Amino acid sequence: MIDYFALALGHGLMAFALLHLVMRESLDADPLLGRLKDTLEQRRKEASVAGRNARRREAELEAEARDGQILRSGEENGP
Amino acid sequence: MLDLVFLAFIGYVLLLGLRRPFLWVLLYVYIDIIAPQRIGYAIIQSIPVSLIAFGAAFGGWLLLDRKEGFRFSLRQGLILALLLYCWWTTGNADFPENAATKWDWVWKALLFALFLPFTLTTRARLEALALILVLSIATIVIGTGMKTVLGGGGYENLKFFVNDNSGIYESSTLATVAIALTPMIWWFTRFGTIFKPQWPVTLFAVLLIFACLMVPIGTEARTGLVCIAVLGMLLLRYVKRRVLFVAGGAVLGLTALPFLPPSYYERMATIAEPGGDESASTRVAVWNWTLEYAQENPFGGGFDAYRGNKFTYEMPVKQEVGNTTSVEFREVTDEARAYHSAIFELLGEQGYPGLAIWLLLHGLGVWQMERVRRRWKDKDDEAEAWIAPFATALQLASLVYITGALFQGIAYQPVMLMIIGLQIGLHNYCKRLDSERAKLAHSERLSPATERARKRAGKTQSPNAVTA
Repeated sequence: MIDYFALALGHGLMAFALLHLVMRESLDADPLLGRLKDTLEQRRKEASVAGRNARRREAELEAEARDGQILRSGEENGP
Repeated sequence: MLDLVFLAFIGYVLLLGLRRPFLWVLLYVYIDIIAPQRIGYAIIQSIPVSLIAFGAAFGGWLLLDRKEGFRFSLRQGLILALLLYCWWTTGNADFPENAATKWDWVWKALLFALFLPFTLTTRARLEALALILVLSIATIVIGTGMKTVLGGGGYENLKFFVNDNSGIYESSTLATVAIALTPMIWWFTRFGTIFKPQWPVTLFAVLLIFACLMVPIGTEARTGLVCIAVLGMLLLRYVKRRVLFVAGGAVLGLTALPFLPPSYYERMATIAEPGGDESASTRVAVWNWTLEYAQENPFGGGFDAYRGNKFTYEMPVKQEVGNTTSVEFREVTDEARAYHSAIFELLGEQGYPGLAIWLLLHGLGVWQMERVRRRWKDKDDEAEAWIAPFATALQLASLVYITGALFQGIAYQPVMLMIIGLQIGLHNYCKRLDSERAKLAHSERLSPATERARKRAGKTQSPNAVTA
């Protein structure tokens, strides 16, 4: 009788635990590691977008400076 | 009927595993520990449930698992080295047939321990494995504890599900493993996510720990008592109120004394007087024989090499006539006595290289768990607070097992090899966390936002720098 009780209790708890586990996404994908990876990925994206933006801004500034120089030299050589 | 219940449970887990193949790994753990095919007595004995579970576990991992963070650790290398070395010694064994019989289960246990860490890639998996280990042992221990409390104990009298005195169903082995797992049981009352830490979990854990403590009493396993004492001493490192802990332990022990049968006292008395009992006195003789054997065979004699031993020694035999007890020393000749110690088991069977690998495997485990504990002990965040106590529980399990293994030939105990698998899994998981954090810190240093902030800080700091 005691053996049957122990077997029933142990197997019942295991059955419940396994059912609970099968519904958990975190069994296959760790949330903490996932968060760290997502943050890293986001940083990389930000870095790359920001880098592109910075390069574009620098190019725009250079172009503006060039245009300004041309205009100034045009005024100096004017009528 | 019992067979059908076991088969229904196995079928249920196989079915659930179709969605999460990792559950098949847990199924193998359950079958390896409880051995339903040995409890049942009809149809289940003819079905290779263990093979099916292992095939499903390995196949599921190979074909369906994500295998994120796959790494082959140093300790897995040691397990592989031990496996290969055992294979070599089996081929050159003193007793080839006996060696082949033991090799038949040892290689499976070692191979599974080698494979297990590959599957332990998430916190949920580490916890799930620990839970199935605890619940599988609990299934055996609950019955043992209840029978002891209800008066059915006694050395070699307590009946388990399987009564062939082998594997986990050997009384001293069960006592050692049950005591080794008690810190892990307590861990679930604080950090469990499958069964949330609430009062029913705490109540179950308290009763289960009590049942674990009953195993050495019910089975009168001396090793179990030594394990309890060692665990008590080790716990002094972690408890906040040490005096209260020692006093509580003493009160509990003294309260239990009147309820223990006289046979228990007689058997425990032989811990201090090994000469008074055949099992205890032959140990010393076998150990001496093994040391001499290892001098002649430093590379080991293969599994079951102890079968070649034979020695004569004097043992006191008590005789009671009326009120008089006389002690007579008789010469006893013994042969083919088992090692009664994992250390000597390895030394005799695998020689010095095998013993060195085994000691390194366990020593590294204790050291790695200590490092993990120290590294993560100050974490308060729920996502990481569980790590240090988990490492502590695994470290204590190792230390209690090593204590028990000093007096039993349990060098290849599958449950303890699974504990090693858990330790490797935890260590790898922590390394992955550290690695991701390091990458994050590196990316932070290189990010344009940080660069701009640094420049801004530099600009605001420069005037101060001048004035300073």
